Formats: sequence, structure tokens, C-alpha cells
Amino acid sequence: MSSNSTSLKELFLNGIIKENTIFKLALSLCPSIAVTNNLKNGIFMGLAVLFVQTMVNITISLMRKVIQPKVRLPIFMLVISGWVTITQMMMAAFVPDVYAKVGLYIALIVAFASILARAEMFASKNSIVPSMVDGLGMGIGFLFALTVISFFRELVGKGTLTVPTGLATQHVFTFINTKPLLIMVLPAGGFLAVGILMAAFNWLDARYMKKGAHETH
Amino acid sequence: MTGKDIIKITLNLVIVYLIGGFILAFVFANASPKIYKNNEEAEKKALKQLIPDADEIKKPANGDWTIHDKHAKYFIAKKGDEIIGYVIQSFGKGYSSYINTFVAVDKDFKVQKINILAHGETPGLGDEIETDWFKDQFKDKSIDHLKVIKGETREDIQAISGATISSRAVTEDAVKNGVAFLIKTVNPATEQRGSISNGVKEGGNTDVKQQH
Repeated sequence: MSSNSTSLKELFLNGIIKENTIFKLALSLCPSIAVTNNLKNGIFMGLAVLFVQTMVNITISLMRKVIQPKVRLPIFMLVISGWVTITQMMMAAFVPDVYAKVGLYIALIVAFASILARAEMFASKNSIVPSMVDGLGMGIGFLFALTVISFFRELVGKGTLTVPTGLATQHVFTFINTKPLLIMVLPAGGFLAVGILMAAFNWLDARYMKKGAHETH
Repeated sequence: MTGKDIIKITLNLVIVYLIGGFILAFVFANASPKIYKNNEEAEKKALKQLIPDADEIKKPANGDWTIHDKHAKYFIAKKGDEIIGYVIQSFGKGYSSYINTFVAVDKDFKVQKINILAHGETPGLGDEIETDWFKDQFKDKSIDHLKVIKGETREDIQAISGATISSRAVTEDAVKNGVAFLIKTVNPATEQRGSISNGVKEGGNTDVKQQH
């Protein structure tokens, strides 16, 4: 029982640190660069991915015994796009204010390599609880990465931070009234930011997390 | 792979897709009337913000026009029976997108307020067209003063530094063309209704009672 719960904890942390979608696996870089030019966008995109990733993992895990292996990929795509569409329609119907702000990001999730990758590598081979934990861990790891990247890009690029104060409201903190390094909010700066932060993340991981990694191996 | 396998796999895919389709259809059927209502209400609210004094802002029967091959609408704002202004949707060709704009004018076609609905301009540069300092410059500008000046100006519109193309697209494309269209289109219509609007003007003193 205790070994089971520790392995779930490891599974959860796996998505955040050891197999972090952006900083370690370098998946879904394109959309993450596109939306991380301010902090609020990064956070909402991360939350949307967290939700869809978890739901897709649960659904695929439930269906894993009825899916014919040869047609698994089209079925994964159906599940992903189905969840994205349902989330979109429900939000537009019941929380239109929120939808007006984040609807744009949700549609992008269909094309996320990271979600398909988790369905293929994990959820299709594991039972429902580990799949859910894996989805949560991967989603939180993604949210964490996007938050760090967008925080860095907006602060360095614009000298401001756009913090969501509610689902449809935001507050912009201005630290410097000029734009110190505008390139950071442009697409080119997205690559630079991801590269710098990826290096920093891996350096920190190598320095402080190695002990834990040795124990597990 | 035997023929039996092929049938099994095909059936598997067909059944899963059919179930998926049914679930989506069910959600859509329940959500779409609410989405339609929400969109209508959101538009009403956006219009109301542009002309807060109006009792009613309505799209006339022929309230459609095209700019840059895009379909746009205009609305007439009324307070009681009197026309107090117009709202027109317009598009400007910016640096990297078409800028979707709402322009509110009073009955003398002076701009009251503008609102940027959607755009894809460069973040950090062009997206400053959404800031209040840029939009507030349009207040009380007549069509002759809808031009962009680089550097300080009070009479015209001051360009956003580093985003002259986006500033021009909003000012000289979207807003100016929208206002020009209204002046051209709506004026004859008001002349047709001349008797009514004259009546309101002449009876202005008696109307004061109703307004208070």
C-alpha cells in the first residue's frame, strides 16, 4: 500500500521535473512560444492544458481495452479533439466572460504533441488512477513551465506583469516604463527565453535532484 | 492480417467515432442556444458601453457594409425617438492583421469612442492600439482630424512610437473609412426622415419636460 502511494507520488513528480514537457522533452514548443508573451496568457494556457490532459488520460485509460492497436492513433485524436470541443462549447455557454478571454487558447490544444504523447506512452497502457495522476503531473509541469517562461518574457521584454485577478479580470503591474528588451516578447525572443530557461532548469535539476534520481535507479 | 481482422478493426473505429459524434452532438444541441444568447448579449453590452446615453442601439434593416472584403455592420443609437449617434464596425489593414474596430460617433459624426475588438498586431508594439491613451485621443475628433502625426499633437492622432503602421491602420483606415461611410450613407436617410427630426428639434422645449 505504501509503496503504491510513493510510486504515485513519483509518477506525479515525474511530469513536473524528470519528464517536464517543455524543459525536458521539448514537446509542444510551438504553442508555448506563441502564447507566453504575457503572464496571464501563460497561466491560462497552462490551466487549459492541465484540464484537457487529465481528462484525455482518464478517457484513454478507460477505453484502452476496447481500442484495436492498429487504429489507436485516430481514436486518440478523436478523444483529444472531442474533449477540446466539449470544453470550448461548455465554456462559451456557461462562462462566456471567461471564454472570451481564454477560448483562443483552448482551440490550440488539439495540436499539442504532449497530450497525444501521454495518451500513447502512458494512458493506453495503465489503469485509471495512475493515468489520472500522470495527466495531473504532466499538466502541472506544463503549467509551471509556461508560467516561468511568460513571467520571464513579459518582465524582461515589457517591464510589466499581467496578473489574472479573476477568471475575466486582470491587473497589469508596471515595473519599468520603457521596454527594456522588447525582443523577448516577440517570437524570436520566445526561443531565446525557452532556451535560457531550459538550460537553467536542467542545471538546477542536475545539481539538486541527482541524489533522488540515483535512488530510484 | 485476415479479413476478419480488417472487419474487426474497421468496426472498432466506426463504433468509437459514432459514439464520439453522438456525445458531441448532444453537447452542441444543449450548448448552442445558450452560446447564441450570450453572443447577442455581449454585443449589446459592448454597444451600450460605446454610447452609454442611448436607450436603444439597433442595427437598421440595411445596416451592412463591406470593407477590405469583410462584412461589417452599423447601428443607430436612439434616446427616446431622437437619433443621438451611430456605431459602426470597421476593419483596418494593420502590420500583420486586419484590426476589427467599433467606432461610436455622435449625430454630427464626431467620434465619441472607439473600441478594438480583435487584432493580431505585434505584441509589445502594435498591441498598444488597445491602450486607453491611444483610444482616448479619438474623442471629439471630426473626420478632418483623423490623421496620424508622429510626435506630440492634440488636434490629430499621435502615433504609437514603433507602431506607426498599426496607428495608421486604426486611424486612417478603420475609423476614417467607417465615419466616411456613415456620413455618405446615413445622411440621406436622415433627410428622408427630415420631418420627424425637425419636429423633434422644433419641439425641443416641450421635450425638455420628458427628459427631466
